Amino acid sequence: MTKIILNGREVDADPEQPLIHACHTAGTDVPHYCYHPGLSPVGSCRICQVEVRMNAEAPPRVMVACRTPISEGMIVDTDAAPAHAARKECLEFLLKNHPLDCPICDKAGECTLQDYSFDEGQGAGRTVEPRRKLEKRKDLGDVIVLDQERCILCSRCVRFMDEIPKTPQLVVSQRGADSVIETFMDRPLTGNYQGNLADVCPVGALTLKPFRFKARVWNLQKSASTCAECSRGCSITTEVLRNGELKRFRPRANPDVNGYWMCDTGRFAFEHANAPERLAGAALRNGQGWTAVHPIDALEVARDMLVTHGTALLVASPFLTVEEGAALVALGRELGARPMFVSPPKNELADDLLHTGDPCPNRRGLTELGIDGLSAHDILAKIAEHESVVLVGERVAELMGPEALAALPAALRMIVFDSHLLDVPAADVCIGVPIHVERAGTWINIDGHAGRIAHARPAPAGVQLLTRSLEGLADLLTSETRAR
Amino acid sequence: MSGTETYLLDGCARAGSHTLDVYRKHGGYDTLARVLKELTPAEVTEIVKDSGLRGRGGAGFPTGLKWSFMPDPAQDDRTRYMALNADESEPGTCKDRVLLREDPHRLIEGCLIAAWAMQLSAVYIYVRGEYRLPYDRVQAAVNEARAAGLVGAKILGTDFSCEIFMHKGAGAYICGEETGLMESLEGKRGHPRPKPPFPAGFGLWGQPTTVNNVETIFNVPFILERGADWFKNLGTEKSPGNFLCGVSGHVERPGVYEVPLGMPAQRILDEHAGGVWKGRALKAWFPGGSSTGLMPASTIDTPMDHDSIRGIGSMFGTGAMILLDETACVVRASFVIARFYDHESCGQCSQCREGTQWLSQIFERIEDGRGRPEDIDLLTDLAHGMAPGKTICALSDAAAIPTHSVVKHFRAELLEHIELGRCPLQAKRVAEGAPA
Amino acid sequence: MALTEQLRQELDELVRNYPDKRAALIPFLHRCQEELGGWISPEVMEDCAEYFGLEPVEIYGVASFYPMFRLRPIGRHVVSVCRNISCDLRGADEIVQRACAVTSARVGESSDDGRFYLETVECQGACADAPMMVVDGTYHENLESDDVERILGGLE
Repeated sequence: MTKIILNGREVDADPEQPLIHACHTAGTDVPHYCYHPGLSPVGSCRICQVEVRMNAEAPPRVMVACRTPISEGMIVDTDAAPAHAARKECLEFLLKNHPLDCPICDKAGECTLQDYSFDEGQGAGRTVEPRRKLEKRKDLGDVIVLDQERCILCSRCVRFMDEIPKTPQLVVSQRGADSVIETFMDRPLTGNYQGNLADVCPVGALTLKPFRFKARVWNLQKSASTCAECSRGCSITTEVLRNGELKRFRPRANPDVNGYWMCDTGRFAFEHANAPERLAGAALRNGQGWTAVHPIDALEVARDMLVTHGTALLVASPFLTVEEGAALVALGRELGARPMFVSPPKNELADDLLHTGDPCPNRRGLTELGIDGLSAHDILAKIAEHESVVLVGERVAELMGPEALAALPAALRMIVFDSHLLDVPAADVCIGVPIHVERAGTWINIDGHAGRIAHARPAPAGVQLLTRSLEGLADLLTSETRAR
Repeated sequence: MSGTETYLLDGCARAGSHTLDVYRKHGGYDTLARVLKELTPAEVTEIVKDSGLRGRGGAGFPTGLKWSFMPDPAQDDRTRYMALNADESEPGTCKDRVLLREDPHRLIEGCLIAAWAMQLSAVYIYVRGEYRLPYDRVQAAVNEARAAGLVGAKILGTDFSCEIFMHKGAGAYICGEETGLMESLEGKRGHPRPKPPFPAGFGLWGQPTTVNNVETIFNVPFILERGADWFKNLGTEKSPGNFLCGVSGHVERPGVYEVPLGMPAQRILDEHAGGVWKGRALKAWFPGGSSTGLMPASTIDTPMDHDSIRGIGSMFGTGAMILLDETACVVRASFVIARFYDHESCGQCSQCREGTQWLSQIFERIEDGRGRPEDIDLLTDLAHGMAPGKTICALSDAAAIPTHSVVKHFRAELLEHIELGRCPLQAKRVAEGAPA
Repeated sequence: MALTEQLRQELDELVRNYPDKRAALIPFLHRCQEELGGWISPEVMEDCAEYFGLEPVEIYGVASFYPMFRLRPIGRHVVSVCRNISCDLRGADEIVQRACAVTSARVGESSDDGRFYLETVECQGACADAPMMVVDGTYHENLESDDVERILGGLE
């Protein structure tokens, strides 16, 4: 680490990184558009101008912080009047052709052109020239819509495609004031990382088709969480509207896991989270139908089944958190059973970047607890040898295969902890659980990094935490044993 | 300073000057042979340094010093290159075209001497795409020279080898900027690179590279043949040698003239270019290409050398004088060159991409009679936002400088346009029967 | 396959001049344009991409940067009239007007009969011989307005 003086205070700076990195690391904001910590620096937008003196005797110079190397003892003033003036001038140029259609722009509220113009732009525009007329709704495939008029040509999107998935698909074409972002012959973008383009775009030029005109970003509540789609466990934010509707998953910077990125599979994995007809509270089989009951009553029925129908098979969902897994292991001790989790086969989505192809986000965490993964097929074979089975955790029924479960004999005693009612002949007790965006906990990713999942919205009324249900059931079994 | 000795264009005047036969008949490549035999690379660089030769491409940087920035081969064994900048495209500048077309072997000899001095593996001659005949002439000369053992492996039987390759540009002023040229040569968009790193450390394909202008290298064989003292005896103390002065615009005899540095512009105008055309008075001039700004006629007695031109608040640039007579409209001229920078900006840097377009739009509006009084301050502010040193390369500066100069020296004419709501001079020209 | 065998052989030669073959791209695009109808088609860009190991979009990004490359079909004869300062001072406007009249094309467009493509260009480095135009790569300098018809009139 190298010592520099930043706004009058000595701070440590990584000499391998440009000055702007040191400023940001020290918590000092320096406006930037083309600079992105995950991409190569090009120094072209020229907004990150700060005042630098190489030492106390040297004259001050205004320089772009993204291309200024760190040197010992350099004195940096991000607040100097000449730096503010230079940034203000730069903003005037950036706004010269910008359409200023902020009221109908999805980026409004998280647009740094808005933010920095507010911070240090000038109050009134001085151009009377007609603004550039370009394509405003260029369809770039299933994920991205391009508005060329809003683009400030920072080239982050181009560099993202070149450098991260390494599949160049976007370029700055033409030149000078005619420059535009394009694909070859307007071909749609391909690949599983397109959504990141909307994140790296500092303005509203690249927006997500699925998110277009769906929400104002200031109405979104954001929670730090972890992606559920594979064993990479990318750090994300979960963003929900006040009504609880899930609107976005976005990558959250984490150098140990996903850098700044996530795949589109994870980004758009709302289907399960927004699925309707959730099981609230619990339900008990009542002849051909079901009776809604309080979870505590359902647990007592479950307890009675478990003590009278031999040793149960405990089958977990791969989405169990470490905390839930521990509660299940404890329950297994009461029952003399070792739980396992259903492990779907690897999917086709594996790549060299992030996606592991393993749909079990907590495989490692569960395995370390002694819960092994088995295929649904193998688990079904084991079920056939048991009188009773407990399915535990969100999507467990889906991953076991609803058709296979429907074929199980009605005589089997089956207790189900899942987000939806499992209406099959074998099921006797169904207890609702919160899904991953409704509870907190820990998943351990493929490399052993712990990722917290966030309670981003409340579970449906009457649904209690799975840990509480499992501990409650274990307690009921303990008291039953003592009573005997 | 006698002002009469010439050397640069002497060869060009000979019949068949572009052929190896004619070139050799007049001592061509003898200097190269002597240099390879008698001088070490360091001695060559020292002579060029001592001569005080300054780059003729626009910046006027001392050539020998530039060469000395190339890393010592004993310390750094990377492949080293020279890119010869024949992407001549500064408005008003048409000198290199003559040298490429008429005396290509001297250029090759200069390249090879430079190659020896810097121990280069290859020289790439980057010729602007429009220069078809000059390109073909240099290519033919390279082929002849290669066949004669002057280019390629074991030059003139020595252990020294150096290749010369031709490379064609495709219409981009910005590729005359040394790092834009290197990007273009690598097969990319001509986006100038941020500096540092500098080309001498990280140039073509990341290897040590020096970029020199055609006329600069053209001087080298003469300096090595006749000595640094001979060279220093021409021109001024700080700007020695002769230079090729392109004279264009409203003069009787436009042309490319060889004159010593330091000759007053007035003398070049009168003695070589035949004075302002049609017996008119001079109104304004660009001393060294459009990027050097529009100067009032009162400065025309300034000596044409780097320091003297700097003294009047301009730059020597490429030494290409563009002259405007009393009927010319400086607003029109400003629009024409602002439009040029708008067309040629690579578009990377925000200020340059947007600013060059904005300046062009404002000058066009004023010339069309739609100017506003506040436009004059706006022009100044925009030019201030674009330069100096606010962008990756100097194209933004090149657009800002003429803007500052026209506001400074010709504010009254700008105001007159704005107040009248039309170009006062266009009306006058029409009245005189000249084309509008 | 838009590239001819002969062009591919030329390219094999050309890339030997450079330590990295991509450097041959711009000179080679010139050759493609000369040989393949005066413009660079999407198919040519795709073939080049394959040869150079790049994506077509990267070829397009480069080709569209350089005004000498035409990315759509244009008239048979390319007429480029300089409009920069030295030529402007000596009557480039009139040359442009005459060229429009003679070619029946507007600036930046081709004539309806496909004979001409007319454009204005920035400085071509013939400032001391202004005004000037370039027709199919050949410089015509010190133009009087009557020269335009003489030079262009005979072109088929």
